[in-house]
Amino acid sequence: MTSALLSVRDLRASYPGPAGPVQVVHGVDLDLARGEKLALVGESGSGKSVTARAILRLDTDATLSGRVELDGADLLTLPPRRMRAVRGARIGLVFQDPLAALNPVMTIGWQITQPLVIRGVPKKAARRRGVELLARLGVRDAERRFDDYPHQFSGGMRQRVVIAIAVIADPDLLIADEPTTSLDVRVQARVLELLHELTDERDMAVLLITHDLGIVAGFADRAVVMRHGRAVETGPVDDIYRSPRHEYTRALLAAVPRIGGDHTRPLVTIKEGGQ
Amino acid sequence: MTRRIMAVDRIALAVAALMVALAVVGPLLAPHDPYAVDLADALQGPSAAHWFGTDVNGRDVLSRILYGAQVTLPATVIVIAAATLIGTLVGTVAALGGKALDEVLMRITDIGLSLPSIILALGLAAALGSGLRSAVVALALTWWPGYARLVRTLVREVKDAEYVDAARTLGVSRARLVFRHILPNALNSLYVQTTLDVSAVMLVISGLSFVGVGAQVPSAEWGAMIAAAANNLTNGWWAVAFPGLAIMLTAVAFNLVGDWLRVRNDPTIREGVR
Repeated sequence: MTSALLSVRDLRASYPGPAGPVQVVHGVDLDLARGEKLALVGESGSGKSVTARAILRLDTDATLSGRVELDGADLLTLPPRRMRAVRGARIGLVFQDPLAALNPVMTIGWQITQPLVIRGVPKKAARRRGVELLARLGVRDAERRFDDYPHQFSGGMRQRVVIAIAVIADPDLLIADEPTTSLDVRVQARVLELLHELTDERDMAVLLITHDLGIVAGFADRAVVMRHGRAVETGPVDDIYRSPRHEYTRALLAAVPRIGGDHTRPLVTIKEGGQ
Repeated sequence: MTRRIMAVDRIALAVAALMVALAVVGPLLAPHDPYAVDLADALQGPSAAHWFGTDVNGRDVLSRILYGAQVTLPATVIVIAAATLIGTLVGTVAALGGKALDEVLMRITDIGLSLPSIILALGLAAALGSGLRSAVVALALTWWPGYARLVRTLVREVKDAEYVDAARTLGVSRARLVFRHILPNALNSLYVQTTLDVSAVMLVISGLSFVGVGAQVPSAEWGAMIAAAANNLTNGWWAVAFPGLAIMLTAVAFNLVGDWLRVRNDPTIREGVR
């Protein structure tokens, strides 16, 4: 793939445990083109979040191996100072719980402009861009709300703030780790829609991490299904929905509740070891 | 509710500001020489000439309190400031600097915690000479370990918060992470402790003066005044009560200011207290 923005090869991650290192990611391959939307799907504990954190090298206690190339440069061997320049500016991350991800004692404006301010953008210019972005994300009265604190916002509004923080420095890649899990269904749809529009406008690639196959179909172009730290199936979303090749993917799809389905049928349990 | 708290805060701020102002301009307002001994006029009750009465040596109590503000308040502020600074530094480094450093710093802190300030002050008085300076140094040296412990706990609580992690994902430098994300959140509870300690430190300075290693005899230090007048409590209560009142008012005012600072610095409970 010549236009690959992000290319992950044989990524392995292990963490120190009480009885020696525990490997949680066992060789994952991912390819993401500029502007492409890829979903990383799997149940809790399948290693999706750890994969995302490994791409940004966030866990200092993790042992990583393999290659993570962003525009051809291997992030895993980058010196810390240059890695810092990648974080926020080239790769943004949206967190699952927007309240926990916001600093409670700083105004949201201070937090939204921070990625620009630490890179030398004058405060006034940063503020103008921040207010504009917040308004674009559908926060009413953005200019005034810019000086409010996180606890003064509702869940959906907070998640818009978190998205604003992640995209303000115009990264090439946005990693969204369960961005809508903590929101109610109606807000979920709106936030996903905004995320879709915004990343299209800015030609950003998105790596959407989710356990919810229901939101993948409308959002992503391709999907990677993960289980037990391995990618078990990769392909265009339509193909995965229409003809899942892996037994686990079929089980996941069957587990999505459907309106008009047989509601007396018990919920699906996915058997261990079904590889 | 909020309105009432605001009124109390205003009064506390006003009293604290008044005390600081008195420490600055007190000597200009004093009606008499605070050190002028007039045995003919000893132990006179409050009157028009001596509002707060005179002590056993016939010195004007009001004038001595006004001069004393210049001794007690700066000494207290210096002790608190030095202890806070050292404690914050040691506690933060211990919390973020790794296991080995944490061990070393915390054992030093333990030693500091186990040293009684009076013994250390006595030792320092022997080395530096008796006086308020020895008392201040001794107090600062015995007061910081408590802060170090507190700050270490607070920083450890905050450093793994998701918003600190989130700031790292933005490429925030380590220094900025500590000074703009971890410390502002961690130190909120420290303000309360320090302002509460203002009264405690004032009392210990007085206690050190009482046993003779703090402010020396003619000095108008508030605690020393109380100690000197305590023998004549029954026939000269005013010489004890008014310096005591000065200490109490200042202590209460600083406590309330501490609360107000905490509320002001924690936006989640600030609602309407701007």
